[in-house]
Amino acid sequence: MKEIQRVSPVVFKSTPVKTEQRDNWEVVMEYSGEGEGPFLVDLSHRPRFDLQDASLSAKKPFGIVIPEIPGNCVLENGILANRMNRTQVSLFNLDGGGAVSMPDESGYTDVTESTVCVALFGENVFSICEKLTALDFMDSQRKAPFLFQGPFSHVPCQIVALSKEGDASGLVLTCSRGYGRDMIHSILHAGEEFRLTPAGESRFTNWIKNL
Amino acid sequence: MALTITCPICGKRNGYEFRFGGEEKGPRPDEKDLTPEKWCDYVHMNKCVAGVQEEWWFHKDGCGSWFKIHRDTTTNLEKEVKDENKVQKAKSGGQK
Repeated sequence: MKEIQRVSPVVFKSTPVKTEQRDNWEVVMEYSGEGEGPFLVDLSHRPRFDLQDASLSAKKPFGIVIPEIPGNCVLENGILANRMNRTQVSLFNLDGGGAVSMPDESGYTDVTESTVCVALFGENVFSICEKLTALDFMDSQRKAPFLFQGPFSHVPCQIVALSKEGDASGLVLTCSRGYGRDMIHSILHAGEEFRLTPAGESRFTNWIKNL
Repeated sequence: MALTITCPICGKRNGYEFRFGGEEKGPRPDEKDLTPEKWCDYVHMNKCVAGVQEEWWFHKDGCGSWFKIHRDTTTNLEKEVKDENKVQKAKSGGQK
């Protein structure tokens, strides 16, 4: 039997220098001419799950205590848990090392292949975001990591600001898979003046390790 | 002025992020002795208030919550009323 082939909705024009096969995804580790940042990294291959339950406080996905207040997030052991509303939490595996499979319980949905996921980090990332959304990432009341659910480039997205620390600022953004090509186009276009470039997964791994 | 709506989860946002869910009409009528006329009135008849009315909104581009606000229909401005903006258990749901 032939193996399935998973294809990311994100395609960059840059030339991949180093790639690897992971769980039927072709993951680009490095692109040519990545520059000095800020960077845009495709994370669509990283496992992502939705958990929906009437009593989320009783759930501990991957051993994580789910934040009580919608909009709050927790990053533990490479798993990012984002409280969306009273009944839902989204879970992103941002640790590329170990393979994470969906817990064998009711309430989970694997959304990896139905959504786009990209990371945007480095200098001036929030200036790029300001061109695409009215969401206020620099709100001093919000402590990273925090979740915004709202339009980004007119597309309903989940956006998690992971850091607001100057050059180390960054966020992870997900939206429906069908918007992938246009979302990447609009982010790269908005980031042109800030020298935003596509980068491989290695850049993201190094960045998140230092958070 | 453009309409802004305060979502109980996401806070004050642009009105274009939301879908109107109709006037608040109270609980669904009891099915006992419910006539087609009464049901039709409940579903279709609106008060169309010229002033402040309580109404349902859905945060379609955000958290996916159903909630109620008070809005002045003559100025299209949200009105603050205490004990409102609570997410309704029966209608809260998922982001699609």
